[in-house]
Formats: sequence, C-alpha cells, structure tokens
Amino acid sequence: MRTRHERVAVRDGAVEALDRGEDEGVGVRVRVGGAWGFAATRQATPSGAEEALHRALNVARTQPASTGAELAHEPPARGEHAGPCLEDPFAVSLEDKLALLGAADGALRSQPGLAVARAELSALEVQTQFASTEGALYSQRLTECGAGLMATAFDAGGAQVRSWPASHGGSVAQAGFEHVRGLDLAGTAPRVAEEVVALLTAPDCPAGPTTLILAGEQLGLQLHESVGHAVELDRVLGREASYAGTSFVAADEIGALRYGSPLMNVTADATSAGGLGSFLWDDEGVEGQALPIVREGVLRGFLSSRETASEIGLTRSGGCMRADGFARQPLVRMTNVNLEPGEAGTLEDLIADTPNGVLLDTNRSWSIDSRRLQFQFGAEAAWEIRDGRLGRLLRNPSYAGVTPQFWGSLDAVCSAPEWRLASVVNCGKGEPGQLARVSHGSAPARFRAVEMGVA
Amino acid sequence: MSGIARELAERALEAAPPGDGALARAESERSLMLRFARSQPTQATSVEDAGVEVAVVRDGHVGRASTNAEDDEALAACGRRAAEAAEAAARAGGPGPYPGLPAGSSPRGHEGHDPETARLDPVLGGAALEAAFSAAAERGVEAHGTWTVGEVEHAVASSTGVSSAERVTDAFMKVVCIAPRGRSGYASGVAVAVGDLDPPGLAARAAELAAAPGEPAELEAGKYPVVFEPAAVGELLELLGHCAFNGLLHAEGQGALAGRLGTRVAAAAINLSDSPRYGSTLPRSFDAEGVAKAPLPLIQDGVAHSVVHDTASAALAGGRSTGHASAPGGDPFGPTPSNMVMVGGGATGAAALARPVERGLYVTRLWYGNIVRADEALVTAVTRDGTFLIEDGEITGPATDMRLTDGALSILASVQALGSRAELVSDGELYGRRYARGSVCPPLRCAAVRFTGAAG
Repeated sequence: MRTRHERVAVRDGAVEALDRGEDEGVGVRVRVGGAWGFAATRQATPSGAEEALHRALNVARTQPASTGAELAHEPPARGEHAGPCLEDPFAVSLEDKLALLGAADGALRSQPGLAVARAELSALEVQTQFASTEGALYSQRLTECGAGLMATAFDAGGAQVRSWPASHGGSVAQAGFEHVRGLDLAGTAPRVAEEVVALLTAPDCPAGPTTLILAGEQLGLQLHESVGHAVELDRVLGREASYAGTSFVAADEIGALRYGSPLMNVTADATSAGGLGSFLWDDEGVEGQALPIVREGVLRGFLSSRETASEIGLTRSGGCMRADGFARQPLVRMTNVNLEPGEAGTLEDLIADTPNGVLLDTNRSWSIDSRRLQFQFGAEAAWEIRDGRLGRLLRNPSYAGVTPQFWGSLDAVCSAPEWRLASVVNCGKGEPGQLARVSHGSAPARFRAVEMGVA
Repeated sequence: MSGIARELAERALEAAPPGDGALARAESERSLMLRFARSQPTQATSVEDAGVEVAVVRDGHVGRASTNAEDDEALAACGRRAAEAAEAAARAGGPGPYPGLPAGSSPRGHEGHDPETARLDPVLGGAALEAAFSAAAERGVEAHGTWTVGEVEHAVASSTGVSSAERVTDAFMKVVCIAPRGRSGYASGVAVAVGDLDPPGLAARAAELAAAPGEPAELEAGKYPVVFEPAAVGELLELLGHCAFNGLLHAEGQGALAGRLGTRVAAAAINLSDSPRYGSTLPRSFDAEGVAKAPLPLIQDGVAHSVVHDTASAALAGGRSTGHASAPGGDPFGPTPSNMVMVGGGATGAAALARPVERGLYVTRLWYGNIVRADEALVTAVTRDGTFLIEDGEITGPATDMRLTDGALSILASVQALGSRAELVSDGELYGRRYARGSVCPPLRCAAVRFTGAAG
C-alpha cells in the first residue's frame, strides 16, 4: 500500500498547519490452522515481503489453537480500478489552497466577536496492490478530498462553536479537488460566523421529550453509531468485545429483529458515488456490494468478512474488510451505511408538517455504550419549530436514546432530492488502532418523543 | 534497532533546506500484538516500521512533511516538501506566529527500556493467552483481550542544536471476561517490562468481576456517591488533559481552567502532576520538538497550578514550552499531559473507600468518554466491565452500567478519600505510530457524581 496525504489549515489569518506525508509498505496476512498472523514492513521489496511472511507465519504458529471458520468462497479479484477524481488534489498548488482557505478565514473574521476562526482542507490518496494465494491480483487507487470551516466565540456564559459543512474535518468525499471548489467556503463563512455569535445569547435548548428533526452530519453519525457499528458481524460474534465492544443485535436475528419503524430502510453500499466507503474491492479481495441492512424496520443483513460470513452460514462475504494502511490488518468496517430516502418531500415540507419540535444541526459530541444501545449526542445548534415554522436559535442541544426505540420513533424521511452523503473521518476500531473513513447518505428525518437536554 | 531513528533524524536534517530553522523527528517501531476473544486467538499483528517528519520554519510559519522511506533521495524530497510548504505559507500570510524552534537542551535519561521486552517474543504472548484462557475456564467465563509488547526509538535533531534520542519499551495486557449471562469484568496491566505483567492474575481478577453472583441492580438517573477504580480515574484524567490542561485551549480562553489557575478547582486532597520519570510510569525524556520533559504540577492541594504547552501554544500564552509538543510546530488540537500522576491517600483499598457509602456505585472503568463542552469540563462516558452497587458500606452485588454526564472538575471537587495504592493505568490505545501512555492513579471516592441514565 502507498499512501499520500496533505492537510492545510488556516487559523485567525495565519497558516496553522501545512502537513504533507507519504508512506509505503507491505502487509502480509496468513492463516495457519484457524489462527491468523499479520506482519508489516516498510521494505516494499521481494525480500522485505518474504521476511514479513516469515514473521506472520511465526506469530500465527505460536498462538494457542484456534477453531476459526472456513472462509466464504470468493472468485479471485483481478484488474485495476481508480476512484473518481477530476482534479488531482496533489497537483493543485499550495498557493491556490492557501488562497482558498485565506478567503474563507477572512470572511469568517469579518464578523465581530469571533474568538477563533479556522478553515482547513485535506486530501488523501491510497494505492493498493493486492495479491493472494487464491489467485487474486488487483490494483486500486482511491482519492479523497474535503474542507470545512469552524468558528468559535465565547463570553462569560461559555464557548460556542459553529462548523460548516460539518464538524470534525468538514465535508470529505471520494473525489478530487473539485469537491473542495464546490463547497463555496468563503461564501458561506459570514453566515457561520453570524450564527456562532448569535449562539452566545441564544436560550438553552429545552429539556424533555421533543419531536426532533435530524439531517446531514448528525443524522449520518446517528446511523454510524447506532446502526453501522451494531451490525458489524465481528462485534456481533464477540470478536471485538475487549475494545470496540459487542452488539445488542444477535447473529440469528436476520428477519426477526425489529430495528425501527417501517419507514427505516438502511443499505450498506460500497457503490455510492463519492462515498468514503466506496471501492471496487475490499482489502480481502471481495467485490464491493450494496447490501440491505434494514428493510421496513426489520434487520436484513450484516457487515461481514469472509470468515464472519461463513461463521453464520452466509455464502458470501459482504465485502467490508478494510485496513488503515500497510501496517494494519483488515477489519470489518463500514461501507457507506445509508438511510434510504422516504416520501416526506423537502426539509421545508417536513418542518411545515411539524407543529412543535426542534431541528438539530452539526455534531459536537457523541458517546454510545459498548453494545450500541444507549447513546448521547450533543450538537452545535438547534432551531425551535413552532406551528410548522423555524423559530429561535437554541444553544447547547443534546439528546439521548435507546437504539431500537429511537429508530422506532422515526415517522418521516424526506424525499430523494434531499438525500446527501455526510462524511465520518475519525472512526476508531481495532488494536493496534485504526481510523476508517466512511460516508452516510440520508435525507432529513423526523423522530418523535426524543429525550432532549440530557447534558 | 538501536540508532535507526537517530540516524534517520540526522540524515533528514542534513538534507533539509535550512529555512529559518529546520527540525527532523524520527521514530522507529517494532511491535507485536496478540488479540483474543471467546478464549481463542483472533488476530496477531507484527509491525516493523520507521519514519521521519521534517519541519522547516520560514517567517514564523512551519511546513511539515513526512516519509517512511530512508534513501537519500526520499529524505531530500521530504525536506523540500516541508520547505515548500513553509515558503508558501510565508508568501500567503506574511509573518506567522511561530516563535522559532526551541534551542537544544539536555534531557535526563530514564530506565524505560527493557531488553527482554524488546525481544518481542511471540512465545511469551502465546503463554499469556493460554494463562488467560485457563483462568477464565476455571471460573466458567470466556476471556477476551489483548497482549502487546513494543520497542520504540524516538529521535529529534534540529538546526537549533537539538540532538536527542531515547529507546523505550512497553508491555500491556488487558482481559475482559464475559460470563454466560453477559456480565463482564475487566483487568489490565501496563509496564516498561513484559516480566512485570501478570497474565494469570489479570485474568483471575477479570473473571472474578464477571462471575459475581446476583442479578444486576437497576439504578435511576441521579447523583450517587462513587468509588472509582484506577482505570476509571485514568479515563477522567485523560479527558481533563484535553479540556483543562491543554495549553492551546487555555490560551484561547476556551479551556476549563481559563481564569481559574491559582484557584481551588478540586478537593484539597487532590495532587496531580505530569511526571515523566515517575517510578512506575512509562518514562519520556523529551517531546516532539526536542524540549526536555520535567515534572510539572497541574493541581496542588486542590488548587489549579499549570497547564501544559508546546512552543506554539506557549507563544500564544506568552510563556515557555513545558515539553509537551506532540508534533514539531504544534498540534492543532493543542498539547496534553503525557505522564499524569495523582498522589494517593490513606485508604487501604476499595473496601475501605466504600465503607462510608450508604448507597452508591463502584465503577471499575469508564468507556467511550467524550467532552461535551470543554470550557465546563463537561464530559460523558459509560461504566463498563464491572459496575457494582454499594449498600451500607459494602459492595453487595452487580449493578447495571450507567451513563455518567458531569463536570470532570466537579467530580474531582467532590473527592472525599483516595486509596493508598496508585497504579499505572492505560487504555492501551495505539493509533498511528506506537506511543504508549498511561497515568498513575489511585482508587478514590467521590461524594456525588451525576448519572443521566442506564447504559447497555
């Protein structure tokens, strides 16, 4: 695997970070009996790979006996693939990038009262050459690019933050620099700055059961934490119990578990255009697929590998094995776990159909238990909804819930034209730790009687 | 692998354009990690890697580039990329805020390297797993967890006279035992030397917690007295490191100690420092900018004393680096403590700490901690793998896991007593290139901690 990355950030008119990196190496994964061994080396040469092979075999052989399942059959992957990228982000000059961020940072600071203004962009390219003793041989190149803004203001009442298009790195897509150019950071910055200052004097979001509309990044993260992780088959089978945790979902509940309301349709889709969880082959050589996870509120599938799929009797892996660079072995990771659109029209239609409630925007904090059942989220901002119209800006919104009850309260999902991908670029799992990058598609959705104001 | 990182750092510095200063930081890693679940091995990872990061300064801007290649051409290209970045930043923004690379200093040595651990012997790991499986089976539970050892060399060389290198080892094992009915227990150990781990003892402790008899008691949301085990204290301190002791947030006015240094923020019994060479910690000599590490009081007798700085945050605050840079030129998220040590108290152990509690919780560990609002040190986390009810001074039986949502400083302010035995705890998270960390924490009792509901 060969990885290139770049991160550029401007803070309060000065360049905060200008990092560029590349690394390259070979990871060898072997199975001896039922035990896995994996060894990584930066020596990307035949002799380096051979030495890594010996280490992998050695660590596999020195472990206690294991009774691993057979691997689900997969035809050997062969070919070449390059993900979408119109404008190579590494070919865009630093001057152009700094000018773009500088304009956005300046537009943020045009609003009085800001404590910190920050604009950032990032790019990543991962090239994988994969070969297996089963005859697979492919090369794949995936390019990602994204950007975002963050404004902070504070007074004696505390600090407030607004980010756009999303917090935690902004909006990142599998795309070239055209994605960043399309975001119009500078054009949106004045509104972002105005909102963060307004939050300082906004009333606190009220506590108690409330009708809640979620959209974009926050709905994506809700999907990520309470659906995506819960249906990872390694967790379901107890393989991640000591770190990431297990799941409230059992392996034999396909077709039986009511996950949410009949409006809930979730697909794990490795073919979503622009999704960070899209690829032609996973890091186990399995073709990327679009798999039903929840249909009309009922569990229909899992995210799986060749081993975990086989263990529960599936004939084929879901193609979800991904590795964070050459020095990490592949794990069951999310492809793009998407909420399919509904028929509730536009966001404006949904608000008009809501007599009383709250619209939440942009994640600020998150936490969920190790079975992916009880969660708590905080957001940067909320707007009250009164008589079908958006009202006052509210600060410090938070909500909590229990996964099946929360998704059971879903009573409206906006229509296809409102459907967007939101990115998550900091998904931690595995030991040694791995960060995965994935997207979640959704249209704004409404949930009833959600417990607000928990934090 | 002795000397790989030092050589890489020196060669990379020599190849880098001088700018207004240049620095090369190199790391080499050899590590082995064995994972297990349901009393069977699941994954084994052996890593051999090394890399270098070059930082070049121009007009107060820092450009950085990194590579894990080691040939002369690659190192020179890495230096050029860093210089181009710094030049581009200088052209775009005029003079920047970075005050310049710190001058060389003389970091003190430590005893943080163990040759036996550096062998990365997989046979030792296999035996540790067997011991865990056996101890779990004796108690009718299944063992899940991790055993890992690593040897890492850090080196920093700069045009301002820094030339430092250190070799460290670390060993970590955790065991989560799960009983047939789903109840779990946790124990972990971390040390410089693999010989200081006690795999059978850890597994026995985790199994004992998992096999505790009785149906879990369900508690309502509310405030309860709590006895926290060291692992739970360590998680709270880690969160405080990010929101309270972070010098960048503090300098920006967003940290939880902004305007509160010199004031009482915790119970008088709380004494917390960052002590990079404390006896049982994972010692470190210098930071990513080559600044020598030294003991730094954070809270003394309950009074907030200091926050930690790298060169960039120190410049913003008008102070000096305390040796906490995690990247040359500064981390955008700010510097955090690396070796926190909380002084213990007089209580002999958990039973003694629980004795005055009429009705409360005993918490083995906290998990998925996150900061809700940094300026308030408002944090949330869930209890996990060993939560028990305390009634009339006794730990009477299991309790369901709960979600904690409270101010981390408020929790420290409500501390009533501390245990006498502080231990090194770590969550064992090793993202990126290996940098093992931990905090030395005693168990402690708090008068009132806010829980916002059940979890799990």
